Amino acid sequence: MENPEVLGKEGKRVVLLGNEAIARGAMESGVGVVACYPGTPSSEVPMTLSDVAQETKSLYFEWSTNEKVAYEVCAGAAWSGVRALTAMKHFGLNVAADSFFPVIFTGVKGGFVVVVADDPLGHSSAQSEQDTRFYYRMGKVPCLEPSDTQESKDLTKLAFEISERYEIPVVLRITTMVSHSAGTVKLGKIRKPKTTGKFVKDLKRYYNIRPNLQVLHAKLIEKLDKIEKEYGMRLNRIEGRGSLGIITSGVSYQYVKELGRLSNVKIAKLNLTHPISKAFVSKFLKGLKTVIVVEELEPVVENFVREVAKDVNSGLKIHGKDIMSRVGEYTPDSVLQAVAPILKLRKPDFRRHDQDLKKIKIPVRKPVFCPGCPHRSTFYAVRKVMGDNVVWAGDVGCYVLGIFEPFEMQDFMISMGASLGLTHGIKKVSKQKAVVFIGDSTFFHNGMPGLVNMARHGTKPLVMIMDNGITAMTGHQPHPGTEIDGMGIRRKPILIEDVARSFGIKNVRVVNAFDQKSLQSAIRELSKKDELCVIVSRGLCRLVMKRNVRAQGGTLTKFKVVNNQSINCKELVKKFACPAMVMKGGKVFIREDVCLGCGVCMQLAGKGDISPIVKGKKEKE
Amino acid sequence: MTYNILLTGVGGEGVLVTSVILAKAANLDGYEVRGTQLHGLAQRGGSIPTHLRLGKKVYSPIIPRSEADLILGLEPIEAARACFYAGSHKTNFIIDTYPLRPIYADLLGQKYPSNESISKMIEPFAKKLIMVDASNICYKKLGNPIFGNVMCVGVALANDMLPISEKNVLRSLKEIVPRGLEKNLKAFRMGMDFKG
Repeated sequence: MENPEVLGKEGKRVVLLGNEAIARGAMESGVGVVACYPGTPSSEVPMTLSDVAQETKSLYFEWSTNEKVAYEVCAGAAWSGVRALTAMKHFGLNVAADSFFPVIFTGVKGGFVVVVADDPLGHSSAQSEQDTRFYYRMGKVPCLEPSDTQESKDLTKLAFEISERYEIPVVLRITTMVSHSAGTVKLGKIRKPKTTGKFVKDLKRYYNIRPNLQVLHAKLIEKLDKIEKEYGMRLNRIEGRGSLGIITSGVSYQYVKELGRLSNVKIAKLNLTHPISKAFVSKFLKGLKTVIVVEELEPVVENFVREVAKDVNSGLKIHGKDIMSRVGEYTPDSVLQAVAPILKLRKPDFRRHDQDLKKIKIPVRKPVFCPGCPHRSTFYAVRKVMGDNVVWAGDVGCYVLGIFEPFEMQDFMISMGASLGLTHGIKKVSKQKAVVFIGDSTFFHNGMPGLVNMARHGTKPLVMIMDNGITAMTGHQPHPGTEIDGMGIRRKPILIEDVARSFGIKNVRVVNAFDQKSLQSAIRELSKKDELCVIVSRGLCRLVMKRNVRAQGGTLTKFKVVNNQSINCKELVKKFACPAMVMKGGKVFIREDVCLGCGVCMQLAGKGDISPIVKGKKEKE
Repeated sequence: MTYNILLTGVGGEGVLVTSVILAKAANLDGYEVRGTQLHGLAQRGGSIPTHLRLGKKVYSPIIPRSEADLILGLEPIEAARACFYAGSHKTNFIIDTYPLRPIYADLLGQKYPSNESISKMIEPFAKKLIMVDASNICYKKLGNPIFGNVMCVGVALANDMLPISEKNVLRSLKEIVPRGLEKNLKAFRMGMDFKG
């Protein structure tokens, strides 16, 4: 258990991460089935519940192959009367969307909560800045938005209540600054989960073909209206009084409160952000001269307010995206800067501060492959053999870091598994050489259809499946190729090479990612073939390796530079870019405290330049 | 009044665990605690600024610009990078002078500054600046630089830069790092006894 406080006693005040608080909320709601694919900023919700499932054996947990499968697993359990929860990042909802919408039509029996974490600014996501709130409008599904850790727990419970009461999935939408903010939480009582149920055939509910489809649709609209009426006034609240109003929700509420005591200003805090209660907003807007809507990303609430204002307060001055950006994330400072002129607040003078900041000249620090990372070795070998004139197809995982210097081998990165389809398209119209880089977990998630499609239509790129044995980027979760599953049960790993061969691909080679000679010779041989070729470059994530070795009381053998004037070593500092290899006064050193002993640098350096440290100091935690 | 602490360093140095230790201790002291703990991409050798705010009632999990009371930097240039949150001559700094040179310094030909130039850059922001070679001292005395973070916590406490009780920091240490507790307690003690 990463944070044992999650299991704390009722009434205790503890510090939890937003995601841990959601997990606790699910436990206080008696959740029986949890299925997820990891996606930061939501990953600690399932990680915590996986730990709980392993420790207490009271609920069923699984790491599903992708978000769509996870969503379906939960919906099946909820149809059978068991409370279920899935959590995903915003892009995960794109994957799950195909099933997300129809299950809202059929409804559920057991409470079903779908946690979706948006990531404005892209702390843990590249690709796009997506505002999932549009999905909830399109899908006609209720959405609750907590502003802090306590609310993360409390609204999770409420989401289960609404879901079960109205037989509809309920979304708990969070953003990074809620899911990854820590805060004080007062714990409630853990409820014993119900983990068995029964699927009852019911054509009225599951027969979603017309004309019953329209019956279901009308019923759904009716459900939403009832939820708006029952919870719209109760869940949202108004603070203060005045002729100036601020409407806000999520973490933006905290930035508004950070402005301090405001005179003549009243604040509407929305917890139920879909459906937004028209009655609540009308009541709030009446008598106001000006209103400011503070929400990150798109003007979703703002547009609603504009519509309502037409009827109840047509002279109202409405501010929102005219003074605040649709891009990136808000901060207490950006909110203050934007609202200060309207609220007549003093803006701090930062001219001197700006000048002093400008004098700080330090090197940039972008994220890098960890010392001993198998991906570094794979990228190095591919570049060495194939040169520069190649299309490098990127995908989603730790290997996106290959976008940075010195590799620069991720020409694009679109979505989970997209490297394959995109490369297929490029190869169909161009004779350029192309290499696909895709990880193990990503391959299982959504890479398989792309590879089948290539096999079927005869494209011939080199596909490098970089198998580090775990979903590494999101914090080391198991996947179908891992021995232990999310309940801690030993399973037979599904091997990527077996899957690829089953598609009829003849050239499938498995190579040790830490063995440069075999890696380079496999790439040399297969990149020349005029056929679809797959190399599974296999090497355990070094952080997992380090943990495993330590758990068995051992130590990793580290390496040292014997000849620190070696030209080869100096080249490696620039081309291999391992954080353990540093230049100091024109000489190359390996930092023993940073090295994780993969030994690849020794294979690449000149003979005798680098050697293992024979009697390594014993490391202790 | 809200007390604002910014912890920073490089992924793997223990920034997050330090923030968990302090948050737990502050909670035991009865404060409301808020802060950020970002995981994911940036952790891979990137820079990790972690916010921690204590008070009777705290709102934003992020510290507003120039409002940090303490910046605890486990890596020197990362402490300098965090000065956006430091106020003019307002913020206390504790800096572990154990450098983790970014590979980009070599790749892009950017100079890694000396301790003297770092303290000069920070000077306009600092109420007080303590540089302590914590990770190196821990490497020499305890066999592992990883205890540098806990030593820095000791330095902060001994210099009245943390409004948290020693009793609860110790209790928090015991619960959060039970493995290697003895060395962590030693590192903490070395920090408390450190004369800068």
